[in-house]
Amino acid sequence: MTQPLEITHPLGRVVATERKPNTPHEFHFWTALDSPVGIGTIVRVEGAQPVGGQIPEIYGIVVEGFSYTDLQTPLHDMLGHDGTPDGASLSATQRAEIRLYTAAVLRQVPEEPLQPVPMGAVYLAGDQDVAVALRMDGYLKEGANTGIPIGVYRAGASDSVIYVDADFLIGPEAAHLNITGVSGLATKTSAIEWILSSIFAHFPAQKGSVAAVCFNVKGPDLCFLDQPGTIEDADRALYEKCGVPATPFEHVKYFAPYKSDGFSLNTLRSNEALSHNVSSLTWGLREVLQYAEVLLNKDDVDAKADALIDFIRERIVDREFSDPILGNRRYLVRSFADLEAWFRDVLSALEGKNSDGWRSHHIATIRKVRNRLTNISTRCAGLVTDDGAVSDLPFGSFEDRTVYVIDVASLEEDAQDLIFARVVTKLREHLEKRDLGVNHVVVFVDELNKYAPHDGQDTYVRKMLLDLAERGRYLGLVLFSAQQFRSQVHRRVVGNSGTAVYGRMDSDELATPGYAVLSPAVKIKLATLDKGQLMVRHPHFTQPIFVRFPRPAVMRGRDGAEQFPQASDVDLDTAVLRSLRSLDPSITLGWVREAVGIRDDEEIVRARNATVRERPADVRKFFLAQLRPVVASQAAPRPQAATIRSAPADDPYGF
Amino acid sequence: MSAVAPPLSPSLGLHGVQRLLAGLFPEADGAASETPLELTTADARPARLISATVIEGGELRGIPVPGGPEANFVAFLDGTQTSRVAQYQRGGVPIVLGMVAAVVRERRDRRMFTWRHVAQERLYAPKAQIARSAWERLVSTGLEVCDTAEDEDGPNSAEHPLAMREAAVHRVQKDRERAEHALAIEWCGREERGLFVDGSISGADPVARAPVAVGVVKTHRTLYASGDALTRVLALGQAERSSVFLVTSPKRAPVASWYLRIRDPRGHDPMWALLRVEVSAGGMEGREATRRADEVSRWILAEVAPVSLPDGRWDKMVYGVRDCEEFLRAIV
Repeated sequence: MTQPLEITHPLGRVVATERKPNTPHEFHFWTALDSPVGIGTIVRVEGAQPVGGQIPEIYGIVVEGFSYTDLQTPLHDMLGHDGTPDGASLSATQRAEIRLYTAAVLRQVPEEPLQPVPMGAVYLAGDQDVAVALRMDGYLKEGANTGIPIGVYRAGASDSVIYVDADFLIGPEAAHLNITGVSGLATKTSAIEWILSSIFAHFPAQKGSVAAVCFNVKGPDLCFLDQPGTIEDADRALYEKCGVPATPFEHVKYFAPYKSDGFSLNTLRSNEALSHNVSSLTWGLREVLQYAEVLLNKDDVDAKADALIDFIRERIVDREFSDPILGNRRYLVRSFADLEAWFRDVLSALEGKNSDGWRSHHIATIRKVRNRLTNISTRCAGLVTDDGAVSDLPFGSFEDRTVYVIDVASLEEDAQDLIFARVVTKLREHLEKRDLGVNHVVVFVDELNKYAPHDGQDTYVRKMLLDLAERGRYLGLVLFSAQQFRSQVHRRVVGNSGTAVYGRMDSDELATPGYAVLSPAVKIKLATLDKGQLMVRHPHFTQPIFVRFPRPAVMRGRDGAEQFPQASDVDLDTAVLRSLRSLDPSITLGWVREAVGIRDDEEIVRARNATVRERPADVRKFFLAQLRPVVASQAAPRPQAATIRSAPADDPYGF
Repeated sequence: MSAVAPPLSPSLGLHGVQRLLAGLFPEADGAASETPLELTTADARPARLISATVIEGGELRGIPVPGGPEANFVAFLDGTQTSRVAQYQRGGVPIVLGMVAAVVRERRDRRMFTWRHVAQERLYAPKAQIARSAWERLVSTGLEVCDTAEDEDGPNSAEHPLAMREAAVHRVQKDRERAEHALAIEWCGREERGLFVDGSISGADPVARAPVAVGVVKTHRTLYASGDALTRVLALGQAERSSVFLVTSPKRAPVASWYLRIRDPRGHDPMWALLRVEVSAGGMEGREATRRADEVSRWILAEVAPVSLPDGRWDKMVYGVRDCEEFLRAIV
């Protein structure tokens, strides 16, 4: 195949002066005025003198550019045109002008001895050069094949696919990915969708299976990952170049809690046409109590309260419990309703005996814990059920190349925190036991500024994210995170991200110390990046690389919200119909209405939840079985009328 | 058609030559100073006034150049020389390393490119003043060795070290002129587009006759006017030229010439921004002389911008020539 002219012919020459010398990590070169070199261009230098019998080749990336003429002072130019700017363009000759670039060294071959970059000709890097420069040759070679395309590097007439190493993206060598960028350009979400597509297409077979759990924290961003989006020919070409199918995700499962009414799903993906893969996410007392500290702040839960919560968790919930003070009545607490009844009885008994404490717990502590715990079901209504019904992610049967989206966008902060904490903890537990169903899980969390800020009080969610960032890679639990301001995220979370991706950046953010290693030109480029452009840092790359990525082949959230408008709130019968119809399309609204009859809402919802959870073969039969039988009304026996005694014959008064 | 510049020839440079000579003549004294001799050798030519034959009108007078500037030069020629003492032989005989170079820079789309250049490095020494074996050793270096005791003007028997150095500089200067002439002749033989030559064109007959070559002289040690004529020349205003006159010399080709002021001289010395232009004398009679002088003056006036600052001669030096000098400075 013929290589472009600029790859086979030098486009510049290395120069060094005493004031601007070359070093082992930086060099300077000039080019013709019309060369295709720019900030981020990868070049190759061929040295003139062999070192150790080998002509050195140095690969670098342009990080700074200078242009100047032989003009010593602007005054001279003004003098030359008698102070008339419009005459300047008429001069017969343009001043001698130079394009001088500074490049950061990506790699030297041979790597030893490490010497300052020698003088030599500068070439535009071709595909092979880019692979060597970024050390991709190590993991793209036969036998390794752990490359995952993250985009295309473009310079001159050539496109080179840039691969990241799966061992350093998903683990175990390094892991995690963090993306930063201003909001509103859809770059962060699009990039994550693209990278997930690429991972699903290229994840090495020898590394096992991989799934993704995405938290949709705002709007409809991730609500239509299984729907095709609009992409252009240029995007299609990028997909083809990277070997990633330009199709939406094949396997996506959505989870969302109910609204406070308990039967309408609290998600923007509530259109009936898309309900086939949307499941409810509801937890009961047992699930919530394990993460009580997520919802109870430290001011609430002192040592005494903590001790009582532990007692309840260990001795009360899901166990038969009796106590002399409660008249040896046997309690089996399985739901918030049961817990509330238990608290009520305990407090009544204490008040009845005029006692201040029970089992070393002061009555005030008992009241406080009752208040905080029973309040959870109100604060997290829709997610936490009073009746203990559980509908959860399929821990234990996760499927390869499947995206599990949990829509928490419309939830209160407490409920969001609870979901993060529990889902991630469960993932970790199952991965530790190797029984999740897949070997690796990518967890995507957006708005890290909110969930793992570098300042503020220490929250359970931040601790969990820190733990995930620091230890997750050994388990195959990988954090893909995104935020607008990297500088305001906890340093250990972003610091543990092996791969960092940057979209268009805010100038104020770029002025923070974390970006001091970037040259002014790279910062300016970052501040003006177009949609579809990213800067990537990866452990194998000694310098950040600029790449282009295609628009995701999935429907954008905004488009999806227009095409599949959110279902309006419906009555309970219709909500039940929608839930059951996903299991049995033959069910009609008339049948539902006949089945539920005059039963109360709580019972109907419980029956619906049980049916949806069990997914029985005979939906109608199962649903009906969940409803308590209605006893046919019988006419009350008419009381026998008492016989009227007859008046005695000798009654003188005539009564 | 534009020619492609050949690659630059490798040069030993002063230090390389000094190392070479130190190996050949271990007993000789090295030369510590690296100051070019051109800077230490005064111009021996006297300042003088010469009357010239006016061929446009009856007397030398000032004439405003009609019309606006026209950028019609497509190439600029200039040369440079550097002479440094590489070694002193016994008796204070200097071995001078002379480097000469010349370039034609072509203007394409308002930018300058090298059309052709030459760069030469020679040793200059008075053969009569050094031992025969020493001369042979100099020749054995592979560098071209020039005998400064022999000149076109005759033998030079000076024994004073300074006089021998001046003789070397004189020879280097002649070599530079030859290099310039060679390039100018090549241009004139190949091209029909205007060439701006820095300096006189009368030294090379083919160039002096070529209609495309225009010589522009910036130094005025010889003024071709006297009396009232000189007053009128020195009083020329911006964009004014003198009448055309004929410059003749026994050793040089005749050329038609005139003075041209390219910038406003108010507040400056009388020769500020004053150029003397030379063109082929062929056909320069009557109205043709006027037409040609006006035309070429307009071409030169088009070169006043960009200015050649920070060069001290910026008032007279056009940017194309400065560009040639920068190029030559880079290679010599």
